[in-house]
Amino acid sequence: MSFTLDDLLALSPVIALSAGALVLMLTEVFLRGERRGYQAIATAVTALAAALLYVWLGPESIAKPRALSGGFAVIDGFSCFAGATICIGLLFATLIGAGFLKPRAAERGEFYALCLLAAAGMCLLVQGNDLLFIFVALETMSIATYALAAYLRAESRPTEAAFKYFLLGAVSSAFFLFGAALCFGASGHTQLTEIGRLSAAPQVAGTQALLLAGLVLLLVGFGFKIAAVPFHMWAPDVYEGSPTPVTAFMAIAVKTAAFGALLRVLITAFGETGLAGPETWRPLLGGLAILTMVGGNLWALSERSVKRMLAYSSVAHAGYLLVGVVSSGNLETRGEAVSSLLYYAAAYTAAAGGALGVVALLERVGPESGQAWDLDRFAGLGQRRPFSAAAMTVLMLSLAGIPPTAGFMGKFLIFRAAVDAGELPLAIVGVVSALLGLYYYLRLIVYMYMRPAAQTAVPVHRHWPGEAAVIAGAAATLWFGILTGPLANAAQLSGLFGG
Amino acid sequence: LSLNLLIFLPAIGAIAIALLPREEHGQLRAAALTFMLATFGLALWVWGAFDPSSAAPEFQLETQWSWAPSIGFTYHVGIDGVALVLMLLTAVLTPLALLSAFQSVRERVKEFVIALLLLETAMLGTLAAIDLVLFYVFWEAMLLPMYLLIGVWGYERRIYAAVKFFIYTMAGSLLMLVAILYLYAATGGPGSRTFDLPAILAHAPHLALPVQRWLFFAFALSFAIKVPMFPLHTWLPDAHVEAPAAGSIILAGVLLKMGTFGFVRYAFPLFPQAAIQYRPLLAVLAVIGIVYGALMSLSQSDMKKLVAYSSVSHLGFVMLGLCALTVEGITGSVYQMLNHGISTGALFALVGFLYERRHSREMSQYGGLAAVVPALAAVFLIITLSSVGLPGTNGFVGEFLILSGTFSSKLPQSPWYTMFGALGVILGAVYMLWMYQRVFFGPVKNEANQGLADLTPREWTVLGPLVLLAIGMGLFPGPILSRIQPAADRLVHRLEHTQPALVGTPLASLARLRVTGIPPRPNQGTPAPIDEPGAVPSIPRIHLPQTFHPLPRPQGAHP
Repeated sequence: MSFTLDDLLALSPVIALSAGALVLMLTEVFLRGERRGYQAIATAVTALAAALLYVWLGPESIAKPRALSGGFAVIDGFSCFAGATICIGLLFATLIGAGFLKPRAAERGEFYALCLLAAAGMCLLVQGNDLLFIFVALETMSIATYALAAYLRAESRPTEAAFKYFLLGAVSSAFFLFGAALCFGASGHTQLTEIGRLSAAPQVAGTQALLLAGLVLLLVGFGFKIAAVPFHMWAPDVYEGSPTPVTAFMAIAVKTAAFGALLRVLITAFGETGLAGPETWRPLLGGLAILTMVGGNLWALSERSVKRMLAYSSVAHAGYLLVGVVSSGNLETRGEAVSSLLYYAAAYTAAAGGALGVVALLERVGPESGQAWDLDRFAGLGQRRPFSAAAMTVLMLSLAGIPPTAGFMGKFLIFRAAVDAGELPLAIVGVVSALLGLYYYLRLIVYMYMRPAAQTAVPVHRHWPGEAAVIAGAAATLWFGILTGPLANAAQLSGLFGG
Repeated sequence: LSLNLLIFLPAIGAIAIALLPREEHGQLRAAALTFMLATFGLALWVWGAFDPSSAAPEFQLETQWSWAPSIGFTYHVGIDGVALVLMLLTAVLTPLALLSAFQSVRERVKEFVIALLLLETAMLGTLAAIDLVLFYVFWEAMLLPMYLLIGVWGYERRIYAAVKFFIYTMAGSLLMLVAILYLYAATGGPGSRTFDLPAILAHAPHLALPVQRWLFFAFALSFAIKVPMFPLHTWLPDAHVEAPAAGSIILAGVLLKMGTFGFVRYAFPLFPQAAIQYRPLLAVLAVIGIVYGALMSLSQSDMKKLVAYSSVSHLGFVMLGLCALTVEGITGSVYQMLNHGISTGALFALVGFLYERRHSREMSQYGGLAAVVPALAAVFLIITLSSVGLPGTNGFVGEFLILSGTFSSKLPQSPWYTMFGALGVILGAVYMLWMYQRVFFGPVKNEANQGLADLTPREWTVLGPLVLLAIGMGLFPGPILSRIQPAADRLVHRLEHTQPALVGTPLASLARLRVTGIPPRPNQGTPAPIDEPGAVPSIPRIHLPQTFHPLPRPQGAHP
């Protein structure tokens, strides 16, 4: 197993992200004084550079998907698209964080370094082609995120959130590891390609049963990571308690990465017909998808806290993404399903990133009470900040899936793939639950435009990085909702797996 | 290109207005009005460019651009006669709606005009789109501006009404989305799949009947909510009562027509067999809507609510005419869509003007206004008469065509439908005239009404064109009917093609109608079982006349 220059090139985005993290940690140590403005800029530049590297690697990887030496990772269109989406998610988190931390005097190199490290783990996750490698990447991502959740350690809520996240994350890692061990026991390999070869060619019935057990355990592990109902219990508390930039990071980047890995494991290792194949996981995940879509939207309905509402909405969106995963079980329409999922993840990144950016703008400096993110805080925003309110409206419409936004196109593609794959019931449940979701997204618009501001309204902060994130999110949402061609085309090309 | 400019000019205006300062209300209104009038000018141009002859292609002034080729969307617009007249209606009503709100909307004027302009683009786009996804995008895009119009500038219970409006409408459209996706998957093999309407129109009618039934159900549900048809109408009174006058004008004038337009353009031609099967059900609901809407109107004391329920009744007529599936009925329905837009738009404007003066919509607060505001009373009377369908006004032409089209149709028991429809006409006269009597006749009971001002020049500008249209379209329906009729012909041909025994107007009946003004007896033959097309007795195909003047001059028929 020897590394070639090409392999290094394929990992160059990850290398860039890690290098950025190291630089930030080192300079933080030697920093005198309080001039920390460069940190956010360096992080943003690194994130953008990594995203561009993925975009640059994209066309060649689509044409020639290949495994790196040793076969532990691959570079293909899927990983490039997902990686670029993750890096854009990191960019959102950085921008929101830059605006959020400064007024709280909490801007430190660790924050950005942890973000970068987590993103490096995520990028490896979507490139990983070996259960052990995926596990290591998963832990790199998770441990960095646990630390990020507790970043504002002076306050009790982040600490509580981080602890919850850590406990449940550890449980999910255990499930994942156990599943990986069973798969290894059945096949003698940890590489997904090798497992796939075995699950496609059934020899001994016992092996298949062992693989099946491994598959189910892996699914449970992923279920926690993507916050699918009924493994979602941690999500609202953790999302609410974490500092808002971290919430954004978890909602968008972690989700994309976890779905990327899930899809690769399912398709590469369990993609062909067999006992441990689509026939088994399609109905399983289909049930999860229904529970997640309906449950997420139902619970969000009764939430008055905007942050918790967005947490449940993120659960619901995991359900829609799961519909894409289920559709990919149909071998004939697999490419369409995978590309619809990629598009959806990108659209969700812009919408949720921007929406949490608005939440961060409205946050009070200092400890927040239990009613912190109540809807009332948005009352009269249309008068006080017409621009932010208009952006938030666009983002809410995108989350609700109403044209002309990218969110609509995402839902459209996901449901189209579902109908094509013969999953009509899932598509119908999907649209009905989208209707449920409509109510709480609209409620926010009601508050912004149709209710007067409270007398004691919290002043809206003006920090340009946060506002830039909001505007970028809204602009991208509209842009890709109307001129959807290029992004949809890129997603379609990236819908094919390699390795 | 003119068509594209027509669709997007209001949106361009909205963007331009977003850059203007928000305090300068006069400037904002003037700019918006300029854009809307320019749009109207373009609409007239499009009207001139449209070829009304029946030899012309189905969709004219087409533009097709690739939008997202990898997923089969195209930007494809084009219009037939139905879309043409409805686009003109939109372009007429929107500036009038804005003009009517100069006085009543004083807050957030900037957002108001932007919402109206965006709404206009969405409405025009819905009418012109001939790609299913493009249609759906515009269709949904209509919701948000209307939602804001109701929710921000409405009356007390505006938020409830706005949310109800949005969720109700969205519920239907989402199922339609699934149906569109299914249609895409079902028509055409891999590589040739498309959302393009002309291509789908060629394939969809050949789908198996059970599939057609489900798809028709999904489309029809969405459109029926929008119309709204009888059991699905409950959002309408709320939305109308709480919406500002300008919102009501657009909502009643144009938005509701999108539902009936959807039936004409999508639900019927795409799924002809299912349409014929469901036709009796739709017709029954339409008739219930006519009578129920009229009865509800009778019992209202709030003028706006009365007009809102009268919309349910009038749109029942439109649906009845469509269900007749005769050239006459369909032509009359489309004509009635225009009439309803004009007369109800004017009624909402008038009620709005009264509200601006007295801040009440209760009829008991008024009485004897004819002496105080004679001009307003006169205009109100003309519009009332047009709404009840007095010969010489536009309402008569539409209702007459619908009723005679229904009577001569092959809908089972068509005379009964016609009878109940006619009952609706009578009830319509009762509630409208009764309202007129309670508001305008008698002594001035309420002291507050003594000093009311008569119509201002601005109000004349709003009402003048509508009154002229109401009378003009009653006296000279020809130019509009001749543009609608080829489209109606085409629709009847499409359905006739699948079920010859159940659709269509015999040539003779049209001729008889023209000579005597008396509708012929309907065909009483037993309809063939629909499930077995082979069992249909072979009836010779009837070729419809190339030119069509179905109308006796209204004054001649009823002096």
